Amino acid sequence: MTASIIDLSLWDLVTVYSLLLMSIGLAHLLKAGQSKDLFWSGLRMFIQLLVVGYVLHLIFALKTPLPVLLILIVMIGFAVQTIGARVKTKMPHFYRVVGTAILFGCGGMTFFFCSLVIGLEPWYDPRYLIPLAGMIIGNSMTGASLAVERLAAEFRERRDEIETGLCLGGSIQAVSETAVSSAFRAALIPSVNAMAAMGLVFLPGMMTGQILSGTEPLIAVKYQIAIMCVITGSVSLTTFFILKLGYRAYFTPYQSLRED
Amino acid sequence: MNNAAPLLQVRQVSASRPGESGALQRVLQETTLRVDAGEILAVVGPSGSGKSTLLRLLNRLLEAESGDILLSGENIRSFPPPELRASIPLVSQKPFLFPGTVRENLQAPARLRRAELPDCSDPSLQELLELCHVDPDWLDRDARKLSVGQQQRVCLARAMVGPCQVLLLDEPTSALDRPTADQMALTFRQLAREKKLAIIFVTHDLRLTARCADHVIFMANGAVVEEGPTSRLLNHPETAEVRAFLASGSEDDREVSP
Repeated sequence: MTASIIDLSLWDLVTVYSLLLMSIGLAHLLKAGQSKDLFWSGLRMFIQLLVVGYVLHLIFALKTPLPVLLILIVMIGFAVQTIGARVKTKMPHFYRVVGTAILFGCGGMTFFFCSLVIGLEPWYDPRYLIPLAGMIIGNSMTGASLAVERLAAEFRERRDEIETGLCLGGSIQAVSETAVSSAFRAALIPSVNAMAAMGLVFLPGMMTGQILSGTEPLIAVKYQIAIMCVITGSVSLTTFFILKLGYRAYFTPYQSLRED
Repeated sequence: MNNAAPLLQVRQVSASRPGESGALQRVLQETTLRVDAGEILAVVGPSGSGKSTLLRLLNRLLEAESGDILLSGENIRSFPPPELRASIPLVSQKPFLFPGTVRENLQAPARLRRAELPDCSDPSLQELLELCHVDPDWLDRDARKLSVGQQQRVCLARAMVGPCQVLLLDEPTSALDRPTADQMALTFRQLAREKKLAIIFVTHDLRLTARCADHVIFMANGAVVEEGPTSRLLNHPETAEVRAFLASGSEDDREVSP
């Protein structure tokens, strides 16, 4: 199987990097003012991926679960940080809410898939666990940002409606229902679209990667189907936790809307 | 009768709100008031006098800093907030109707409280609609397409579908023309008398106050300046603040209906 992989030489990499130089040249020509951005992000990609490559090389050799789990925690930490940077209006107690949701939503789904479906031996085999967790967390991150953003927008736009509901004796759960369901819907739209367009509009990255590295297309397809279901499951579970913990943060302990 | 606990009693309540700079500002200073069943209390005063804050403290949309608010002698903090708010609903200045029909709006409080939805042909509900001048023909119409005056009436009826004991109204006539506002004043009187409700409204509208309030509390800068029976306070004010405020309204607004 390894025979079918064509390795890229250093010279090949230099060749493709010349394409970046071409992009920089074109950006300069059109006065797009992006030359610097292209240069720096190209450089960052090079360094970051090189580091990751070496780190993965080391990690895949690991024979104990603890460092693997530690890496997963760091990944979750970065995910929460990234959502925090991406979302403009954060809910009260943002980091606590999103951290807990990703830990249990993504963590739960990753272990469900790796242990119960694939049946990894050992259960922490980093070669599978790390990249799969990466895909699950990465996709859930997008869903989580959408949910957080939408929930904030709903609470801003529906302030009158929510307060009217409270004034009529509604519980905070009852008056938040519309906001919560609309945020959930927003978070799930990318997963729904991705599943519906899969194979027709685009060939998903993981599947393409597996095929390029010599995996039978049918096996690659089965993996892709499985990972999409797990991703959708993780997006819904993470979003569910975020919304169930998050809507409460908009209320005071005596069940009125917070002023800020 | 006077020995019994009043329906709603506010004792030495103070409250602060974040000001424009973000720092807390005292907006209500040791305010005391009481209102009995069947009675209408008007809280009058210039903008920024703490009237709306007072109203929002009564159903715990805001929390008082100190002092007690008692409903039938019991501290309002001893009720679960949803239960308290069903007993003391607040109708806000701008009528807010949920998307849907008038019927759905009238059923909204029950839906929100996870209770059985009321039947609009139920005699007690019919009576309430009649008192609030909500035409039964509106029931299946889109609530948001009604006129502002009609919407205000639906909001009023909706607030009272539940176990309402004290009705709070924030500037109930600010969006209404004069004939509609006068009709509203009449509705408030009928509601208080026939449903034994206590009504507390906050207003600038001296005409409304004169036409339906039993008692008036005049507030300025977060404190009660003067209080008394409506005709006494409007016709023979004792303080300069009230005299100045009354002088800024027209003669016509002050005339007290029999």
